[in-house]
Amino acid sequence: MNFEASEEQVLLRDMVGRFLADRTDAAIGQGPMLREDWRALGELGLFAFLLPERGGGMGGRPQDAMIVGEELGRALAITPLAESVLAAADLVARHGSAAQVERWLPAVLSGHAVLALATGDVTVRDGRIDGRCDHVRWAVHAAALVVVHDDTAWLVPADALGLDIAPIRLIDGSLAGNVLFDGCEAEPIALPPGAAAASLATAQLAYVAEMVGAMALLYEQTVDYARQRRQFGAAIGTFQVVQHKLARMFVALEQCRSLLLKAGLADRDDPGFERGIVAAKAYVAAAAQHLAEEAVQLHGGMGVTDELAIGRGLRRVMLLARLFGSADAARARLAA
Amino acid sequence: MHFTLSDAQLAFREEVRAFLDRSLTPAMRRGAALTSGVFAEPEVAQPWQAALEAQGWLVYFWPRAAGGPGWSAIERWIFETECARAGAPVLPGMGLKLVGPVLYTYGTPEQQAHFLPALRGGDHIWAQGFSEPGAGSDLAKLSTRALRDGDEYVVNGQKIWTTQAQFANWLFALVRTDAEVKAQRGISFLLIDMATPGVTVHPILSASGDHELNEVFLEDVRVPVANRVGDEGEGWSIAKFLLENERGGTGYAPQLLADLGRVEQAAPLTGPLADRAVRLRLEAEALEMTELRTLLEIERGEPPAARSLAVKLIASEVRQGIEALAVDAFDMAGLTLPAERPFHAADAPAAGPPEARLAAARYLNARAWSIFGGTSEIQLNILARAAVGL
Repeated sequence: MNFEASEEQVLLRDMVGRFLADRTDAAIGQGPMLREDWRALGELGLFAFLLPERGGGMGGRPQDAMIVGEELGRALAITPLAESVLAAADLVARHGSAAQVERWLPAVLSGHAVLALATGDVTVRDGRIDGRCDHVRWAVHAAALVVVHDDTAWLVPADALGLDIAPIRLIDGSLAGNVLFDGCEAEPIALPPGAAAASLATAQLAYVAEMVGAMALLYEQTVDYARQRRQFGAAIGTFQVVQHKLARMFVALEQCRSLLLKAGLADRDDPGFERGIVAAKAYVAAAAQHLAEEAVQLHGGMGVTDELAIGRGLRRVMLLARLFGSADAARARLAA
Repeated sequence: MHFTLSDAQLAFREEVRAFLDRSLTPAMRRGAALTSGVFAEPEVAQPWQAALEAQGWLVYFWPRAAGGPGWSAIERWIFETECARAGAPVLPGMGLKLVGPVLYTYGTPEQQAHFLPALRGGDHIWAQGFSEPGAGSDLAKLSTRALRDGDEYVVNGQKIWTTQAQFANWLFALVRTDAEVKAQRGISFLLIDMATPGVTVHPILSASGDHELNEVFLEDVRVPVANRVGDEGEGWSIAKFLLENERGGTGYAPQLLADLGRVEQAAPLTGPLADRAVRLRLEAEALEMTELRTLLEIERGEPPAARSLAVKLIASEVRQGIEALAVDAFDMAGLTLPAERPFHAADAPAAGPPEARLAAARYLNARAWSIFGGTSEIQLNILARAAVGL
């Protein structure tokens, strides 16, 4: 048993953390990461570090995705890491044909292409796909969509005939797309049964890590604010009601870190891998939303404005907490 | 980073399981299952204590120099997890976890030679004399006086909430030896033979009907100066050391997870009850990792991070949640409160699982979790100061 990050992981964390600190100080959480920054992360080798060797990557483990996710969350960075890299590109890298890997992976690794992950009500007949997938994140920016339905997956390039994407703005300020497939040509990805689940779970792990990172940011900013903000002749952090709220936030953050760690330490083929991530999702999603709401509350009027990272943090957490299903849905899965 | 046990740790776990199969008798398991209070009563606790001592594992959380087996933090966690899963009695902590570490840390060689073997052998049963009617959370306000008279102190005062004092033959107590100095500095730590004239124990019946708590009256009780631990005025720092050690072993999560599992086993949970069980399990699993993170820090020789201050607060809430869930899981059967005590003394147990018969009493007794050893409000004050940094 060892919960210490390896030297390599410390370097990874520092690299991502420094990169984000240099770029997001002024614009923390304000809209999706710029394409040039995403490409710069690709050039630094981040996506190669996380993707499997068959896709030209270095075979990163879920715990590496967890480390990166936490840093992204702490910066409130809005990126396609989970959907494009950890889910869609990972599926292509593991199960795609040699031609599919060759066509899409180099562009993903360099940050030049984003793959969207679409799930929804579709039918495929004779290599043509019909149906719709709503609220598909990154669909508007994607070079191709990876459509996952039950135990099957298909690739649909963004320039496919019969593909219609209607942009729609989400709570965190990012764009999603309502995607209509009208007889689009779709290339099958040869998924073995159950193979999609581990990649989707790794993406879910990254969301959970992002929530924990966001919690850390919101907690720290709220503690700072409670030290500075004076009312009734004293810093509000000297009032016991405020102190107890902050202590509760500290406890929630540590408990979330713990359950994230438990989920992230498992590997894809460990028996408890998916269950651990569902558990962490169930716990962290509820705790993160509550912490973000408390951060707003303790910031008073400023908390409800768009001026501070606090309001943007709440918006980001609201989305992350519900991607791939809500906390309630995750608990229902655990109870079943 | 990895969460796996080494081959040596897995072998150790097998050794613990084999010991439990061999030594934890059906009578001990039954006694533990029928314990409604925080600790097992002597009838249940003593045989298990003797079995552990015979194996050399009783004081598994003491350092090797003090007579412990020299286990690593992870080995202690494995042991506690296996004991909790097997349903072993929860031994009273007043002697083994509280006064024991005080004695091997602050005691004179004579005190150690006299008291530690008697503690391990079960000849001395200890009670804790800290709280007073006028000094609960604000412990430094305690007013029990100890006046020096030659080689003795003459002690007068009253202690309260004294768990299992009705079974104890020794009391460790905080007493005021100097009323002139700042409150904390006038306190000393005394070991009091409960057979000394002037010591009287009055029961306090809990709302559950259990007799766990007592008042202890001290009237002109003469205590040899040789039974003072540490210097005069050192009592407060010893008390702080003791409270930091209160957990003694490793953590709360193993017992919480095992007890939650027993409630789930005894009653089929569906709908909102199943959701409550999931929430409690998640909180307890997170707590287990929080505790393990601290254990690994201790193992590496690092001072534990501030998160270790949160575990008592979390554990109280999970404990109370489990007992409230049990009450609801058994419907009206969860609200029955038989008058006969202790439960384990009944020859022919009533129908139904013990979890149902004891649910109401356990629920009521568990309310004390957020009160003893520092209330949850005090825990939040400590966290705000030491963890948040306000």
